[in-house]
Amino acid sequence: MTRIVLDRLHKAFATQAAPVLAGLSLDVHPGELVALLGPSGSGKSTVLKIIAGIEQPDSGDVRFGAQSLLHVPPHQRGAVLMFQKAYLFPFLNVADNIGFGLKLRGASKQQMRSEVGRMLELVEMPGIERKFPGQLSGGQQQRVALARALVVEPHVLLLDEPLSSLDTAIRHTLQETIRRIQRELGITTLLVTHDLQEAIAMSDRTALLLDGMIEAIDRPETLFQRPPTQTAARFMGISTFVTGRVEGAQLLAPWGALQVAGDGEPSHAATFAIRPEHLRLLDASAPNAVPGALQDVAYNGEFTLYHVAIGADDVRIKAYQTVPQPPVGALVYVQFPPEHLFEVLV
Amino acid sequence: MRRFVWNIFLVLAGLLLFAPVVIFGLYGFSTRYFYPQLIPSYWSATAFLRQLTDVRTRQALILSLEIGTVVSCLSLLVGYPAARTLGMRPFRGKSVVYMLLFVPTVVPPVATGIGLNILFLRTGLAGTVLGVALVHLIPVLPYVVFTLSSVFARYDPHYEYQALVLGASRVQVFWTVTLPLIFPGIVVATLFAFLISWSQYLLTFLIGGGQVLTLPILLFSTVAGGNPQATAVLSLIFVTPVVVILIATSRYLATDRVHGESGITL
Repeated sequence: MTRIVLDRLHKAFATQAAPVLAGLSLDVHPGELVALLGPSGSGKSTVLKIIAGIEQPDSGDVRFGAQSLLHVPPHQRGAVLMFQKAYLFPFLNVADNIGFGLKLRGASKQQMRSEVGRMLELVEMPGIERKFPGQLSGGQQQRVALARALVVEPHVLLLDEPLSSLDTAIRHTLQETIRRIQRELGITTLLVTHDLQEAIAMSDRTALLLDGMIEAIDRPETLFQRPPTQTAARFMGISTFVTGRVEGAQLLAPWGALQVAGDGEPSHAATFAIRPEHLRLLDASAPNAVPGALQDVAYNGEFTLYHVAIGADDVRIKAYQTVPQPPVGALVYVQFPPEHLFEVLV
Repeated sequence: MRRFVWNIFLVLAGLLLFAPVVIFGLYGFSTRYFYPQLIPSYWSATAFLRQLTDVRTRQALILSLEIGTVVSCLSLLVGYPAARTLGMRPFRGKSVVYMLLFVPTVVPPVATGIGLNILFLRTGLAGTVLGVALVHLIPVLPYVVFTLSSVFARYDPHYEYQALVLGASRVQVFWTVTLPLIFPGIVVATLFAFLISWSQYLLTFLIGGGQVLTLPILLFSTVAGGNPQATAVLSLIFVTPVVVILIATSRYLATDRVHGESGITL
């Protein structure tokens, strides 16, 4: 199992003013799946291309374990990249596509046939050796592409949004397939995605890539529930921030004092965040609740989204259970459960 | 109705293309074929066979094939990198480069031919087969570069990346992935190169200086000789390889020139 070390990578393109990567460092442990989450244009794909050797960094180092890869040509790195599209070779059938890497290594026909069969079993598509890529659906093509990548037993697997062009249902099953195989084979994997759900669902750790740097990296639960910075929190779908002074276990905000899970820190200015699904909408006053005017209600099936104006702020509340349905414009109370309020760095 | 008009158009176009060949056929495969006869009364292949076994004809035929082949290979060798860069990389002054490439097709070949003749005389290339092959590159290259650059404009390098990360060296990538993907385009470009070289008279004449006797040179001197039958037979010999090549490659002319059309990234 291989450890990937990215050491202060810098990369700028002539066509863009801002550098794509501005000193990015990342350590992917052996056998781990790290999701690299970021908006489009954040340089996620560039990271993968640099690891694979298709792009060169302006400065910085890429290492597998202790070995620097900068002078290793792409075909000798053992880092297989999968793209948004499968890029199966259209002039080869499925068996020859999967066998492509084996043939380059001079595998015998018999060896190839058995390996191809084994790989097709692994990706749950047995018996389609003779089909051509054009006869397969997008999801099937990605399964074959996965088989083609895994058959060469790469040191690391680099996934560049391989599921983003697929239908939701197929995407979810393929997420599970990839995750299962990745665990079975223990192959170190870096997954690039702009889809929060995908990153959370698939990764051992999720890294948030913003402005060419890792803004935050942690276990998905932690990153989702307790993002360390305000920027990271915004990316995790948090829009409610309360800024004020912490005094003991109290946050003195413009709206009034809120109870927080304080641990007796000295008094300081702080910004607290709370997830929209942790806020509670009430029709009567309660402890740690702030009055506001209900602005908008949007029923979304699984949840209902409320917008409440508190002072000049718009507070978003996600309610998964039926709550009292006051009319728009009514006076409501938004409760901030102390255990869910957490401090973020601005 | 529109279909009817279209059919008539096709028939007329066909006639226009095939009529000369038919007339050559009538002249070439007959004896004593004179004016008021619509169709020759005596058929014979002796003239055709005589011309085919003629040493000069055979040598010219072989030389034309050789030069055409060398020109095709050279033009691909030179044109491929140029076309790939023009088709796939954005750079300043690209339209200027395209225009410069287009120039040889509009500048009168007499001008380039005479100009180059001086240079070729000095370098000792004038009057040689190599010199003629090189000068053929001038009208050939624009077609090869344009054909291939339009292929590369819609070419997706991700297929190559994919092969690369699967363990193929750059050379292996070219042979196992690039070439199969652009093969239809290569066929069309080669076809252009060969046919333009094959039918080249003026530049061959200017640089060859009467010492490199390709089929067009022989044909022109035969036409000047005034024997309609010899002209007809030689014309048929001249046209046949072209027709054979066109038929053999027609499926590439009709189909899409980039294999894996869906693989376009913007």
